[in-house]
Amino acid sequence: MTAIDSALQPAHDTAHGHHAKPSGITRWLFATNHKDIGSLYLWFAFSMFIFGGVLALCIRAELFRPGLQFWQPELFNQFTTLHGLIMVFGAIMPAFTGLANWMLPLMIGAPDMAFARMNNWSFWLLPPAALLLLISFAVPGGAAAAGWTLYAPLSTQMGMGMDLTIFAIHIMGVSSIMGSINIIVTILNLRAPGMTMMKMPMFAWASLITAYLIIAVMPVLAGVVTMVLTDRHFGTHFFNAAGGGDPVLYQHIFWFFGHPEVYIMALPAFGIVSHIIPTFSRKPLFGYTSMVYATSSIAILSFMVWAHHMFTTGMPATAQLFFMYATMLIAVPTGVKVFNWIGTMWQGSMSFETPMLFAIGFICLFTVGGLSGVTLSIAAIDIQLQDTYYVVAHFHYVLVAGALFSLFAAVYYWFPKMTGRMYSESWGKFHFWWSLLWFNVTFFPMHFLGLAGMPRRIPDYNMQFTDFNTLASVGAFCFGLGQLIFFANMLHSLRHGKPAAARPWEGADTLEWQIATPAPYHSFVEAPDLEVGENGRIDAMHGGKHH
Amino acid sequence: MDKPPATLHDNRLLLLKLLLLACVMFVFAWGLIPVYDALCRLTGLGSLQRPDEVGSQRLAATPLAPVLLTFDATVQPGLPWQVRPLTRTLRAVPGEFVRVDYEITNASNRQVVGQAIPRYLPAAAAEYVKKLDCFCFAQQAFAPGETRRFPVVFVVDKNVPAGLDSITLAYTVFDVPGRS
Ligand code: HEM
Ligand SMILES: [Cu+2]
Repeated sequence: MTAIDSALQPAHDTAHGHHAKPSGITRWLFATNHKDIGSLYLWFAFSMFIFGGVLALCIRAELFRPGLQFWQPELFNQFTTLHGLIMVFGAIMPAFTGLANWMLPLMIGAPDMAFARMNNWSFWLLPPAALLLLISFAVPGGAAAAGWTLYAPLSTQMGMGMDLTIFAIHIMGVSSIMGSINIIVTILNLRAPGMTMMKMPMFAWASLITAYLIIAVMPVLAGVVTMVLTDRHFGTHFFNAAGGGDPVLYQHIFWFFGHPEVYIMALPAFGIVSHIIPTFSRKPLFGYTSMVYATSSIAILSFMVWAHHMFTTGMPATAQLFFMYATMLIAVPTGVKVFNWIGTMWQGSMSFETPMLFAIGFICLFTVGGLSGVTLSIAAIDIQLQDTYYVVAHFHYVLVAGALFSLFAAVYYWFPKMTGRMYSESWGKFHFWWSLLWFNVTFFPMHFLGLAGMPRRIPDYNMQFTDFNTLASVGAFCFGLGQLIFFANMLHSLRHGKPAAARPWEGADTLEWQIATPAPYHSFVEAPDLEVGENGRIDAMHGGKHH
Repeated sequence: MDKPPATLHDNRLLLLKLLLLACVMFVFAWGLIPVYDALCRLTGLGSLQRPDEVGSQRLAATPLAPVLLTFDATVQPGLPWQVRPLTRTLRAVPGEFVRVDYEITNASNRQVVGQAIPRYLPAAAAEYVKKLDCFCFAQQAFAPGETRRFPVVFVVDKNVPAGLDSITLAYTVFDVPGRS
């Protein structure tokens, strides 16, 4: 058997009968169990979140007041670049993949992910990539400083930090493609009998569509950074005007990846919220089928709007109009989703545990981010606002209050199932209200800064912007502090939390809540027979073995 | 459910298809280069590939009739300025660079800041006088009694209507209050 062949072999072979949980470092290094790999992903994502967060605080410290306090502009630019890259590729995306690893097999009644050893590979590629980004700060010329978008010609000129970054992107791309293949095959081929596509839970749908998006666009990103690499070292001129190339071409290819990428970070969040809102409203999800179609149409539309990032590149007016209207069109399926979540809560008997708080916070703040997004889609306005702090405010509303809040909601929601213990509800609620307050203190003023004309990616600014920047910096540090509360709560509850019931949430009705808590190390080694309602509601379960 | 459970073979087949999709998308990224190139040619957007037409246009153009230019200056009563064009009139072919100098004196014994405002006669001529440099672009500070010369550099647009054969350029200089 070749190496590839054995990598594709499911590690979990029921014929062996007896499964000691491996222990020590090898349990993690050679992990093939989807729960172990899920945990690895989540821990990795959290540490990257802290790393990226520290970089964000380095940025906010410098912007506390005008003038240069701490860093030279070159270093400052490295911070913004690495902050963006690490949050996107190191924190948010791996966190969703980790959750999918943990929860998908439990939700659809599969014994594990389809390709357990490939799963191990997809995770273990990530730490080396992160390491490359980290050490790039120490090489001559420092880390990449062209912004997370790595626009040419900046990126074709910088020092070897850029090469390390490109290499890291290649590795992370391979990792996420392998992870996505695993998710797709698991969902399409390993569902338990009775778990049909149009019945399966929204998180499975969201993960499936996201995985397709990843497979479709990560190779495009890999392609475009490879062109940068050959421009840098092999004498090509893809983006070099002097050699007949065109730097605007870089932007077209990059954003062909870039806009679907923002939905890669948003769709799984939609999926998570579509579990939590019904659970704590004690009502089925309103408009399940329309949710599935809305998610799919968002994914398809996301390929047709990339040039809304390029309104100032001198596009013809007809192209500007096309991309403007196409972008606005995405607000329709997104609006359907928000409507359905509200419809789910309508007349529900709601309770407000921490996951629900984060989910409702998500809906409110994501909608704010959506509104500023529609504002930016208007070409005439975008020409004024592009590359100002208004854009920074916009995408942090959808990424921090969107993706990140949904991840907090998910971790609180599934914590009992993963660990067998309850987290501290009062600290959880405190974490929510604290984050909500300081998030808004940090990012709301950035709208005003942007409207007043403050450019993004600068270490120094005009005196007139001082007050709002000081406010934003205070907010950022308090927000950061609040995440330590989350960390402490998780660590403490992992050991000392109250033992959790198999179904700690009264309204939770998907498959993962039908099995013991904590979830058995090998769950569903024999597929159960299911009677399933919409959004994965389990009406009856027969059989299904774990050990 | 009637569908038989997926076999290892099914899983691998799907894996291969997905891998293929990833490879196709990688190639697609490179395929965008010729597509982009073709689109730019088609729409005429690719200014890089367009031959430099400016020089050839100039060669091809038939010589235009010269325009009579007159330079003038006025000062409102009570203000400390003396403004004098060093050239009164000249003839210039549209498209030709013209440089004339103005001399401005602060006739008072205090420090003053002035702003020159241009005026064109006929007013319709304004859009055909393309200024490259002018003292009217900025406020000018003068020490008591100081005299300075300033250049005005401009081109008369080649699209100037045939009937417009005489243009007067006049300046008025004002005090900028509160700035001295
Ligand atoms: C935890 C709190 C966070 C704070 C205080 C914060 C703050 C900032 C600041 C100050 C900038 C630089 C703006 C500029 O100068 O242009 C920035 C950029 C950025 N942030 Fe965050 N951020 C946070 C979390 C996140 C998260 C969770 C993401 C998720 C993906 C994210 C994604 C980005 C991106 C993509 C950029 C653009 C980088 C670039 O300009 O190339 N941020 N952030
Ligand atoms: Cu976009």
